[in-house]
Amino acid sequence: MTIDASTDAPPILEIDGVTKTFRARVGLRQVKISAVDNVSLTVQAGSTLGIVGESGCGKSTLARVIVGLHKADGGSVRLAGTGFNGGKRSREIVEHTQMVFQDPYSALNPRASVGESIGFPLRVQHVPKEEIATRVAKVLEDVGMHPNYSTHYPHQLSGGQRQRVNIARALVLRPKLVVLDEAVSALDKSIQAQIVNLLLDLQTAYQLTYVFISHDLNVVEYMSDKVAVMYLGQVVELCDAAALYESPLHPYTQMLLTSIPTLDPTQRAAQETPDNAEIPSPLNPPSGCRFRTRCPFAMDICAEQAPTMITARPDHGVSCHLFDPDHGDPARISTEGTR
Amino acid sequence: MIQLTTRRFAMAVLILFGVSVVIFLLMNVLPGDPVAALLGPDASNADRLALRHNLGLDKPLPIQYVDWLGRTLTGNLGYSPYRRAEVLSLLSQAWGNTAVLAGFSAAFGLILGVALGFWAGVRRGKIADKVISTVGMAGLSVPSFFVAIILLTFFAAKWRWLPAGGTAVSGGFGQGGITEFVRHLIMPVVAGSLVTLAITARVTRASIVETYQADFVETLRAKGLTGTQILRHVFKNALSPVLTTSGLQIGYLLGGSVLIETIFQWPGIGLLLYNAIEARDLIVVEGSTLVIAGTFVIINLLVDLLQAVIDPRQRHALA
Amino acid sequence: MTEGATLTAAELRERWYQNEISVPPISYWSVVRRRFVHNKLGVVALAVLILIVAAAVFAPWLSPYDPLIGKPADRLENIFSFSSGHPLGTDEQGRDMLTRVLYGGRLSLLAGFVPTLVAGVIGTIIGTWAGLVRGAVGAILMRAMDMLYAFPAILLAIAVGASLGPGLTNTIIAVSIVFIPPVSRIAESETRKIVTAEYVEAARLSGASRIRILRTQLLPNVLNEIIVYSSGLVGVAMIIAASLSFLGLGSRPPTPEWGYMLESLQGDIYVVPAVVAIPGLFIFLTSVTFNTASDALREAMDTRLS
Repeated sequence: MTIDASTDAPPILEIDGVTKTFRARVGLRQVKISAVDNVSLTVQAGSTLGIVGESGCGKSTLARVIVGLHKADGGSVRLAGTGFNGGKRSREIVEHTQMVFQDPYSALNPRASVGESIGFPLRVQHVPKEEIATRVAKVLEDVGMHPNYSTHYPHQLSGGQRQRVNIARALVLRPKLVVLDEAVSALDKSIQAQIVNLLLDLQTAYQLTYVFISHDLNVVEYMSDKVAVMYLGQVVELCDAAALYESPLHPYTQMLLTSIPTLDPTQRAAQETPDNAEIPSPLNPPSGCRFRTRCPFAMDICAEQAPTMITARPDHGVSCHLFDPDHGDPARISTEGTR
Repeated sequence: MIQLTTRRFAMAVLILFGVSVVIFLLMNVLPGDPVAALLGPDASNADRLALRHNLGLDKPLPIQYVDWLGRTLTGNLGYSPYRRAEVLSLLSQAWGNTAVLAGFSAAFGLILGVALGFWAGVRRGKIADKVISTVGMAGLSVPSFFVAIILLTFFAAKWRWLPAGGTAVSGGFGQGGITEFVRHLIMPVVAGSLVTLAITARVTRASIVETYQADFVETLRAKGLTGTQILRHVFKNALSPVLTTSGLQIGYLLGGSVLIETIFQWPGIGLLLYNAIEARDLIVVEGSTLVIAGTFVIINLLVDLLQAVIDPRQRHALA
Repeated sequence: MTEGATLTAAELRERWYQNEISVPPISYWSVVRRRFVHNKLGVVALAVLILIVAAAVFAPWLSPYDPLIGKPADRLENIFSFSSGHPLGTDEQGRDMLTRVLYGGRLSLLAGFVPTLVAGVIGTIIGTWAGLVRGAVGAILMRAMDMLYAFPAILLAIAVGASLGPGLTNTIIAVSIVFIPPVSRIAESETRKIVTAEYVEAARLSGASRIRILRTQLLPNVLNEIIVYSSGLVGVAMIIAASLSFLGLGSRPPTPEWGYMLESLQGDIYVVPAVVAIPGLFIFLTSVTFNTASDALREAMDTRLS
């Protein structure tokens, strides 16, 4: 389901060490929320990077940093080689990166017709009026809706139709990179399938690169080439989609995937979280490895030192001390891996 | 829950302070020079200055406010030269009467309003609903003083069934007892509570209709509950917006007391306020406005807390 | 449509296309218009309202009498006494009732519209600003609004009216002050909701400047709510103004304002009750048509129903 288009051009998207912290007030105190911590990812043209994790893991924040709706506090975001960190959007940036939002209803201006919403980016970018109508009609067709819908209003459409309109709006400027933040999560299952397939068709037709964010593992596997697993603002595992499902390495990924209780005693230990496991919050993440409070394999070093991303297998990175050649579990470390 | 109560209480206190500031500004900044009013145009300058100093009018405004606030909080609301009485005593006498009238009006308007709105909501679309909705719309558009005049004309003047004004309660249920009391009460209550009745009926109806469409009603039906039992559940759930509006309605009644009490010569705070305005007795105007507004704030506080008790969802919304 | 397993995406799309080809274009206001027209009561109310407004505007041409000066000899003629030349009778000073009612309509309508408009504009500015800027000044302003909001409406109007003094202008000012807090509350909460909405984020992604977002995304949505709310205020404003006049705090004699007319006539209610009832009936009629029409408008504009 992907187009292999590796060239020597700079990667469509490259984020390096991105960190984002929010300040908020709880009662009378100022608190800091570590939403995204030191995330580095590279996406090649034409591919799909899936980002998966539970709610609160920072994936939506990361999405917004990528498209520049939030300014990163640390690290850099490079779109086709050009750095961008919020601020004023040049035409190139607008035409390079777009986003499809989660809630199909609140992503559309209730006072604007479908045509006005989709045409808005064109008007902002000073596309001539005559061209706008044609382009809007064309993109509506591409997402599977009749152009007559452009005079309709969001409240007259179904959830699936509204999401198509959102996609149309994201595509009308013919971007190269589209970030999809839980783009199908708010839809019924059957509609989800239709929209997912639509997205895949459009990827081919428009030659798009996707960053697909979701908490739904099945959809992510279906859509993605590579997958990054996030926990509490950090990437804990990064590999091909197939590898993630066949041989997950990070204990958190394993926990996500193996939700069915098993009778095998050797497996059972792996599934039990320690009795004193607290679900940590981004306000006060655990020291060292952020997952250690829920990890059945936590070691002493996990509390002292934060793990770094280790290439445990070819094209398969894990951020876990278990795979560290120095103090990891020898059974897990394979000789194919390198530091 | 305790946290919520403390919070709302603190807010109410703050609002009361704000209310006092507003009243102080209205009464002391805008109207003309009280010294001129008291001394007349022939007073000498020295007299004027002396009186200004005596009344504390030469101090800066915030200090005047603090002084005034201090006096008010210790119960000294001033002395009315026109009525030759302490304002506090005038107010406490009047407050009881207003409480009685407003209380009965509220009870009448709210209870009958809920009943009618309930009936209309349950019989949605049918004749009963249409009649009640139309009459309701008329009811809330009619000015209370107009209704009052009409009632007076027919029931008091023309047919002489009911007394033209006053209460029968001076010094307890003296002459005529309960019957007299009720006879004097009927017209002011009807005139004053008409809008409350209409609005409460509307809100109740809308709430019932909305609740009926909620998913849980389907569940109840599926479980096999009868119409009457479902009705009871619907009623309980639909009550929340009605409670909210009842607080506002009591405020409306308190404000409207100025009109109703004046027309029916009911010796409450409304009448006190009206007479004070006519006579330019600013001290009494101040005191009565303060009491009425303060009562409204406290009632809203109670309604909010009651809401939180009844509807657990509100506890989070309000906190 | 769950045969996705056997049809390709392209085939599915083709199927939709065939289904949807018959979809006609619809615009928002045509939907609103259609729904409004459906509501017969609303249409009637609107018609009556237009009549009333027209009658008030064309008052000088509709009646030859002077609204301010009358002949005491003609006083208190009853209603429908066509022989006397006064179809609606005369008041206690011999002034023609029809004329006074028509002229009074101008004042009452003014007292209804102007405060609503003023409060609408000022309240929107305050609330939107507080919702956007969210600084200390905004917070203080909104707290001040809360203080005013804590008064029962009529009481505040009476208090402000009493301290400003009598006269229609002061009444209008008083009612405006009463209305500004609720309008600003609505503006503020709507602004906050909209500012965090995803469609505003999408607009930013298109490269729109802040001003543009304000103009195209924020204001239309805020104003929609404000308009719906304000339409119900006009009737309330009229009644409050009439109440103030009735108490002697509003229009002064000999102004033909409906509330004042009711007050000055009420002493003669035993003589010609029908005549005395006229100003009250007109207040009622105007108020009821306004409320009905605005209710119908609100329902028609409700974007949640389809």
